[in-house]
Amino acid sequence: MYYKEWIKTRWYLLLMFLSTSGFAGYCLLRLHRVIALKGIGHVWEIMLTHDVVFVDYLKYVPLVAGLLLAVVQFAPEMYHKCLKLTLHLPVSHLTVITQMLGFGVAIVLVCDILNFIILWSYMHQVLAYELWSRCLLTALPWYLAGLAAYLLAAWTILEPDWRRRVFNLLVSLLVIKIYFISDAPASYNGFLPYLSVFTLALLPLNWISIARFKEGKE
Amino acid sequence: MESVISCQHLTHYYGKRKIYEDLSFEVPQGRILGLLGKNGTGKTTTINILSGYLKPRSGVCRIFGQDIQTMDPSLRRRIGLLIEGHVQYQFMNIEQIEKFYARFYPNQWRRDAYYELMSKLKVAPKQMISRMSCGQRSQVALGLILAQNPDLLVLDDFSIGLDPGYRRLFVDYLREFVKAENKTVFLTSHIIQDMERLVDDCIIMDYGRILTQQPLQQILQTLHRYSATVPEGYEPQLSDAELYHPAAIRKHFEVYSFLPPDEVKQRLMKAGVPMQGELNSESLNLEDAFIGLTGKY
Repeated sequence: MYYKEWIKTRWYLLLMFLSTSGFAGYCLLRLHRVIALKGIGHVWEIMLTHDVVFVDYLKYVPLVAGLLLAVVQFAPEMYHKCLKLTLHLPVSHLTVITQMLGFGVAIVLVCDILNFIILWSYMHQVLAYELWSRCLLTALPWYLAGLAAYLLAAWTILEPDWRRRVFNLLVSLLVIKIYFISDAPASYNGFLPYLSVFTLALLPLNWISIARFKEGKE
Repeated sequence: MESVISCQHLTHYYGKRKIYEDLSFEVPQGRILGLLGKNGTGKTTTINILSGYLKPRSGVCRIFGQDIQTMDPSLRRRIGLLIEGHVQYQFMNIEQIEKFYARFYPNQWRRDAYYELMSKLKVAPKQMISRMSCGQRSQVALGLILAQNPDLLVLDDFSIGLDPGYRRLFVDYLREFVKAENKTVFLTSHIIQDMERLVDDCIIMDYGRILTQQPLQQILQTLHRYSATVPEGYEPQLSDAELYHPAAIRKHFEVYSFLPPDEVKQRLMKAGVPMQGELNSESLNLEDAFIGLTGKY
């Protein structure tokens, strides 16, 4: 199953890793320029007094990356109902869809971790723990939004009935809004464990779409 | 003979539109059964129910004795499925798709059978399926089924989009495989000539019901077109259920029936059909038989 997912998504994965890493790198470049021009003291000052986090360019990047991954992974399955081939494999349907989603979730997580490593690798050299952790924690809900976007987009694409698909899309938009309620840095800190659990709890929604596909809902 | 497929009392509706009610049929082991019907009579619906992608409103379908809705996933190893339009993973090439499927069918996968068929296609091993013609894709789909070596093949409108050469290649390969290995096949096709070359048994469906289920040879031997000359302007008003689709065009009257000529003649005379001269009887090919039973309209 993973082989199929790899064949299907490999070029997009390359693009996804390069572009998200590129955005993370660009954020660091901005930080580096400010340090070079105005000194590290200025950076610390604006971070403390003006809520600057230097990662704001990343805000919607994981969201778009997760959304596109779901499209690249699941739209070909729905093309001419190709999903029938996948569900005809001699493996339980629950295993099939869990493996497909597991692949996508793993990719999103690896991409997120890579981005965080890139950010941390520079920030921890020039910023105090409190400041770089504030930056990363500010970005964390956006990365969770990327994971949620992936799961919700998969839920919507796999839904066989177009009316229900519109409904799923609207629900998805409302759910995604949760991750962008506040722009204040680190405002989600106390809520992050619950938001993480909530995000992973979106996964079983896809089983509903598969069950409906199997029942022939159109 | 043991039944590989057994569907009992199937009823299905799309919304309020009835597709069929109380439909029952069986497919014995080692037989090729063709499902024929006009558009909208429920052929693809039946295939979807059989392949587990549609839950009928009522009734039960069993394959190898197991209810399709609760079938053990490993049993799908024994079922080859061809989806309408020869759908396959477009993002793979010939080699990748073989490699992918082979892992799911250990101890039964016949790589050679797949590549033997692929060698007849004039395409490179790395060619993407998305860049193939419908005919070439049909060979990939067939090759994968042959390699899977299933006991039952379920084929939905296998001839769609194929030119005569590819259709013939498909039918000949399939028939050779099925007969040599005593496989069971359930198929639909809108090209009835292909069915005639391939199937052992026929189910002919009309809207909402099965018109007949018989061995092909029995249909061809027993169903006849009867014709006679009638006065111009005569409009047949027959209500005999065993005389199918009586029609008159100018002076030519015709009707189809499984009954012998004498019996048909008697019934027509009893019904007051003003025949002038003899009642002629003709043997039919499957296409004529299909039209005779389902009507031209």
